[in-house]
Amino acid sequence: MNNGLACSALDVRIAGVHVVKDLEFAVRPGDFWALLGPNGIGKTTLLKCLAGLHEPGSGEVLLESRNIAELPRKLLARHIGMLQQHTVYVFDSSVLQTALTGRHPHLGYWEREGHRDLKMAEGALRAVDLAGFAGRSVTGLSGGEARRLAFATLLVQDPEFMLLDEPTNHLDLRHQVHIMGMIRERARQGRHAALAALHDINLAARYCSHVIMLFGDGQWCAGATPDMLSESSLQRLYGCPVERFESSGGPRFHPRAG
Amino acid sequence: MMPTAQRRLLFLLLALLSAASVAIAAAIGSVPLGWDQWWAALLDSGSEFGELVWRLRLPRAAAAWTVGALLSLSGCLMQVLLRNPLADPYILGVSGGASFATLLGMSAGAAAALLPALAWAGALFSILIVFGLARGEGPWSGTRLLLTGVVTASGWAALISLLLTLGSDGSLRGMLFWLIGDLSYARLPSWAPAILLVIFALCFGMARSLNVLAMGETTARLLGEPTRKLLWVVYLLASVLTATAVSIAGNIGFVGLIVPHLMRLLVGSDHRVLLPAAAMFGGLFLVLSDTLARTVLAPRQLPVGVVTALLGVPLFLLLLNRARVKQ
Repeated sequence: MNNGLACSALDVRIAGVHVVKDLEFAVRPGDFWALLGPNGIGKTTLLKCLAGLHEPGSGEVLLESRNIAELPRKLLARHIGMLQQHTVYVFDSSVLQTALTGRHPHLGYWEREGHRDLKMAEGALRAVDLAGFAGRSVTGLSGGEARRLAFATLLVQDPEFMLLDEPTNHLDLRHQVHIMGMIRERARQGRHAALAALHDINLAARYCSHVIMLFGDGQWCAGATPDMLSESSLQRLYGCPVERFESSGGPRFHPRAG
Repeated sequence: MMPTAQRRLLFLLLALLSAASVAIAAAIGSVPLGWDQWWAALLDSGSEFGELVWRLRLPRAAAAWTVGALLSLSGCLMQVLLRNPLADPYILGVSGGASFATLLGMSAGAAAALLPALAWAGALFSILIVFGLARGEGPWSGTRLLLTGVVTASGWAALISLLLTLGSDGSLRGMLFWLIGDLSYARLPSWAPAILLVIFALCFGMARSLNVLAMGETTARLLGEPTRKLLWVVYLLASVLTATAVSIAGNIGFVGLIVPHLMRLLVGSDHRVLLPAAAMFGGLFLVLSDTLARTVLAPRQLPVGVVTALLGVPLFLLLLNRARVKQ
């Protein structure tokens, strides 16, 4: 049994915000989790905590039953990857070379990227619709293109657990659907899992198998999507009246016009 | 990524140009040599001009090449370290400490042979101050390092001004030349190329880590780099490179800022290509600059720091402009 990426009695705080108290939940291969919550509630901090970038106040994050705080970074990077909310490229580099940095944790000190790595990078660029951009400079990319490149780099890194901080930011409708579908497909194949901070409830309703909600003051609630998304829970979450509609693909939610 | 064949060709070309620059430096000077005299001198150090070439010009060219390579390599590292394309080898105060110690020695009438040791002591002192103050607890902070370094550098600059103000007229010229950067009396100690080689090998080995680090500390950590350790290693290596260069030739400006940039424009920012290219180009650039410095107003010799800036600025602006047009 794979215990996945799990939180045990996790307590996370940042700058006066109590993000979660006694958090117990696990992201297992096959899962696609949505992380929902209002602005400034600590979604990014929780993702960073799971990636080992932020130290929890107490409790542990476990990667297959081992505390990630005790694992070397390089090993961690082969299993856990994160799409950050913003990616800024200061130094010029080509799109292909940037995508190839995803192979970094898989290569030894003196090792160079081989044929297989190159194929992976090219495949990932094709998958995010950047096939013709390989030789382009990263500093000249649009917001959406830079976002897709960052996602392609994560695909090249190929961790079992993908943490995604607002993966659909800057993306047009077609690419939003495309990328969410790709993440769901990877999870369904059974080897990967994802946890994505989202603001679009309906993307969560359509693509995610599980939902975790952060209410503030350390309160949280996690479970399978159909059990989690309801008018009352979303109203409590966002402090805004929400109306449920039935669509052919299942329930959808919209803010009730005030 | 640059194809292997193209990369090899580039390195070969830079190596040949480096050798050519040294050969030119051996031929040109206040005593111009004809082709046959030059060739005879190169083959036989006992010939008519052998002494001139082997005892004066070649050692000076070797010193110039080494210093240019040291500064360029240090510049590449500092720019990644601070994630700032404006960073140069002197930005964190290493050269300030070296300059103060050297100038203090000069005004106290210390023997010339003692000056490199003083420069090293001053540089080391400054490195330790900045390292100690900026380290602190908590996560790595590039901003704290930058501010600590820049403020320390300003402190040294004030002390240097004080020394210049108090210095006797006789010692001022020497001090000024040293501050501008001068290779006239430069002797290349054998450990300097050793330092260059060892640090180059270390950096080349971690070039892929530097590529990742250039994308930001968080990105680097997510891609498996223990960044806190890596950043301090980069800081110390860059500082030692700078200290070595400054102890040989004073504060030669501009090479460490411009050569890494020029090379980024030409070969891209993969450090596996950038580091060797910048080191070699920095070396040959300084050899040619110094040859000009020796000959342009011969028999007067200019401090090479003047020439590097005069050559470097237009060359850089030209390439920057061309790169923009291409984009």
